[in-house]
Amino acid sequence: MSIVLQSPSRKASRVNAFIGRAFSRPSFVIGFAILALSIALALFPQLLAPYDPLAFDLSAIQQGPSLAHPFGTDNFGRDVLSRVIWAYRVDMQMAFFATIFALLIGVTVGAFVGYYGGIADTIFGRCVDAIITFPFLVLVIAIVAVLGPGLINMYVAITAVNWVYYARLTRAEIMAQKSNDYAAAGRVLGYSDRRIIFRHLLPNAISPIIVYWMTDMALAILLGSSLGYLGLGAQPPAAEWGVLIAEGRNFLLTAWWMSLMPGIAIVLTGLGFSLVGDALADLLRPKGR
Amino acid sequence: MKRLLPILLGAALGLAAATSALAIERGGAMTFARYDDSTVIDPVYADRNPDLWMVTGLYETLLRNGPDGSIVPGLAEGYDVAADGLSIKLKLRDGLKFSDGSALTGADVVFSLDRARNPELGPWAGLLGAVDKASADGNQVTLTLKNPDPTIVSILATFNTGIMPKAAFEKAAGANDQEKARAFFEAGPVTSGPFTMKSRVQGSSMTFERNPNYWRPGTDGKPLPYLDQVDFVIIPDDATRILKLQAGEVDAAEFIPFARVGELGADPALKMELFPSTRIVYAPINTRETRKDGSKNPLADAKVRQALNYATDKNVLIKLVTFDTGKPMTSLMSAATQLHYGPEPLYPYNPEKAKQLLEEAGLGGGFEVTFTTLAGSADDATLFTALQQMWSPLGVNLKVEQVDNPTRGEKNRSGDFDIHTYGWANDVNDPAQVTGWLGYYKQRQAVGTGWNNEEFNALFEKSNVEVDPAKRKDEYKKMQEIYADGAPLLFLFETPFAVAVSKSVEGYVQTPLGANDFSEAWRAK
Amino acid sequence: MPSLSYLMARLLQIIPTFLLVMIFIFLFVRLLPGDPAIAMAEAKATDAQLEQIRHNLGLDQPLPIQFLLFVTNTLTGDLGRSIMLKAPVTEIILTRLPTTIFLALYSVLLAICLAGPLAFLAAARVNSALDVTIRSVFQVGLSMPVFYIGLVLLTVLAAQLRWFPVGGYGTSFLDNLHHLMLPALSVALYTSAIILRNLRASLIEVLDADYVQFARAKGLSPHIVMTRHVLRNALVSTVTLLGLSIGNLMSGTLVTETVFAVPGVGRLMLEAIFARDYPLIQGLTLTFAVLVSVVFLLTDIVQSWLDPRLRQS
Repeated sequence: MSIVLQSPSRKASRVNAFIGRAFSRPSFVIGFAILALSIALALFPQLLAPYDPLAFDLSAIQQGPSLAHPFGTDNFGRDVLSRVIWAYRVDMQMAFFATIFALLIGVTVGAFVGYYGGIADTIFGRCVDAIITFPFLVLVIAIVAVLGPGLINMYVAITAVNWVYYARLTRAEIMAQKSNDYAAAGRVLGYSDRRIIFRHLLPNAISPIIVYWMTDMALAILLGSSLGYLGLGAQPPAAEWGVLIAEGRNFLLTAWWMSLMPGIAIVLTGLGFSLVGDALADLLRPKGR
Repeated sequence: MKRLLPILLGAALGLAAATSALAIERGGAMTFARYDDSTVIDPVYADRNPDLWMVTGLYETLLRNGPDGSIVPGLAEGYDVAADGLSIKLKLRDGLKFSDGSALTGADVVFSLDRARNPELGPWAGLLGAVDKASADGNQVTLTLKNPDPTIVSILATFNTGIMPKAAFEKAAGANDQEKARAFFEAGPVTSGPFTMKSRVQGSSMTFERNPNYWRPGTDGKPLPYLDQVDFVIIPDDATRILKLQAGEVDAAEFIPFARVGELGADPALKMELFPSTRIVYAPINTRETRKDGSKNPLADAKVRQALNYATDKNVLIKLVTFDTGKPMTSLMSAATQLHYGPEPLYPYNPEKAKQLLEEAGLGGGFEVTFTTLAGSADDATLFTALQQMWSPLGVNLKVEQVDNPTRGEKNRSGDFDIHTYGWANDVNDPAQVTGWLGYYKQRQAVGTGWNNEEFNALFEKSNVEVDPAKRKDEYKKMQEIYADGAPLLFLFETPFAVAVSKSVEGYVQTPLGANDFSEAWRAK
Repeated sequence: MPSLSYLMARLLQIIPTFLLVMIFIFLFVRLLPGDPAIAMAEAKATDAQLEQIRHNLGLDQPLPIQFLLFVTNTLTGDLGRSIMLKAPVTEIILTRLPTTIFLALYSVLLAICLAGPLAFLAAARVNSALDVTIRSVFQVGLSMPVFYIGLVLLTVLAAQLRWFPVGGYGTSFLDNLHHLMLPALSVALYTSAIILRNLRASLIEVLDADYVQFARAKGLSPHIVMTRHVLRNALVSTVTLLGLSIGNLMSGTLVTETVFAVPGVGRLMLEAIFARDYPLIQGLTLTFAVLVSVVFLLTDIVQSWLDPRLRQS
């Protein structure tokens, strides 16, 4: 394990080599392209959406796909393409905000608990048991019911449950790393515990967490859409894929485009995250273990 | 001759079809897809619509609501209110029987009415608050009242006074009335209405079977109901319920979303029924001087509330939300309610008038209002979006706050809202219920709005003991005028009950009060 | 089999977990805005009637007393009466739970049948066209929301082709297999994608492992190598994965039960939350907790039975 000792320039060249290897994999390239496009749509929907996603047009109700409306229109004459595009902003936000705080909190807690062990670890274990005994969705729904529906409350609810999974993962990795020579070396050299954890142990433990994060962002979109579908996530008239599908479910036979188009968007974005996650998992897998 | 035959044959067949459409056929079963399950169908404990809309299928009342809303005889041949309005006499029909064959007597009536007016038991006891004593002598039933009550006749035709068998109920296991009620119901109750309950799987299905001892005759002179059996399946999801109907697995599906009324109406295998109802969709406005947080409430000024009503284009809302199946409100109560008064739609769309009223109120510069909606409700989302667009030219900045149902109830009760969505359907065929709920301050602070109009309150109290029908009618007219002018609501629209029924089933009715009536339904074979 | 002392230790661990769950859920339901009285008599009751309802439900008592009652009653097996359904909670759960368990097991079975053979095919020829195709198809399954799969299956296979009934629940075992096929399948598509991914990876790993190579070199028949070494090891990871994803599975059934009108406990939980039905929410949560704990325990046992290395530690 040489990471502790390596110089910045060697690190950079390793990163470059890693990127090179990543982009030589078709699955990573496809996944990366999908995600890049999704992020672009999320950042600049106003440039790409042809219509106002909320404006009613009662003269163009439930029209099928056409040149004017490539994805058709919904039951209020709103342009489905524009709604799907604006939904990228909400759903990509969900993917990020519903997971990032869980990651930060979970990794911190997991690292400390894994490093120190003892009574903190026991208490942590019981809390984790208690939290994972609830089905994830049920717990999130209950928290959303307390806080009230809406996006921010949904992030809070998901984070409140989700950090546990990151913490468990980090704890296991740290425990495995702790016994390695370089950790012991750090202690002998008199480094502070914080420094050993964050500078030495975590960097070596982080790759499975990053891989999990990728999958988790895809899951967050699915979860957020499920909540939107159940009426607890993003709120209509705002465009969100789950909400769009919920709006279209009554018209599956007469106006199939209302639910199919956002359905494709969910699948595609989820695919993007999974492909990138899978490729990273392959690339980061320690050799010879 | 050869050519003539097909024509003759066709004519004969056509004739046969025409007669079969007219002649009622007995027997058979129908399957009905419901949006929610009943819990305990009991006249006293029914507190949710899926319960109380089923009660009269099992328990017959002394009087009944006729198709035009008038009161007609039920188990009782007729009624006689004393001149002083302090007592009512009713005579039961001869030979009435419960579903198990036991005789239905005055003792059962007294038992049922005493249960119905016991405030310790269910939520509806207040409806019989004027009753001092119920007594029976054979088939003669007498109610003595503490004070005259013009609503009492309607109450005797309301589900909560359904007649239950005293002996069978008391035999049911249980330490108290509530446990007995449940045990009695679960065991397949002895009933007085058109049906008995044959079986039930909680949350999933229920079967009603024909009560062979039901008294009311059908058009063929023999006793109702025509059907041998009604099967209910519970499908909470609207889209799934409709798919089930389209796949031919059920004969009818209730609560069709208005968005799909047009599509199902065009289906040759289905009839899209829009039953007239007492259901109204409205939005209570907080009329208190200050909001819950202590800030000044612009909506306390009646002019502002009127302005918002004028600024609301109800016809557009009716198109967007009800797909043109609804109609604008003409009074605080639906047009199908007794003593309704409202010659024309309230507050027709008039943005100029709205602007002028706001300027008179000193709010020409605009202000901010929060609209509380039901989370996940597509209708509420549409209402909000449309109102936001309609009101913004007036400088009204409409914000949305989405909550679930109990939270909305809590906010309404604590006055912690500006405007929120609400709906209502009458349970009683009398205007006092809806009027007390929406306008009488002492009952529920006029549906939580805090609107406290002394003239209205006095009229309401007077009308509740008014025995002269003409005077009561006048009082109601006056109340409805005062209420419309005070505008403690955003008056939105009335909606029908939308039920899609297979062409092979005739005669199913959902009453204006919402009750599911299968007594005269029949199936063409 | 794992040692008795190990099992005892596991069971003892469950006790503090359950106490935490109970405190948590008790406080939690009371944090929900609005209360059962309001949810129950939402529109029509007066304030005085509400107070009466609260009194009848025991909600006017101090919280510590309510909690003590909850704990002592639970220990005697009495979960209280559902406010919404007006029936004992235990009775309701006992009638509804089998449906959900049936649905969950059915979907796991379907998922294994779908993913198992295909994972072997994919692992046998890593990165071949077949491997890539299988993986991409399942990847799509992994990215599709359960409710959307459900809707599409319902519309196409049930309403259009009439192969299956549209939602609802059957009356006999075979009837249920038919009725619950689509809901189980819509959960299974997701689960099978996870299984496939995991199984394929662990198969590849095992096939490469020294002891398998050694067994081959020893001249053991491919059949024996497969069952004794490869299958057994692949099973360990799959069982672990399935055990850990029980929570996900329950979440999946919650949504499917709503879409397919299946009268299980998942949908009931949602309804109970919206009705602020404290006793029912509490009862269902405890049921979930028991269920998940039992599944975790079973996972442990099966794992150590399948994997001799774990047995010693």
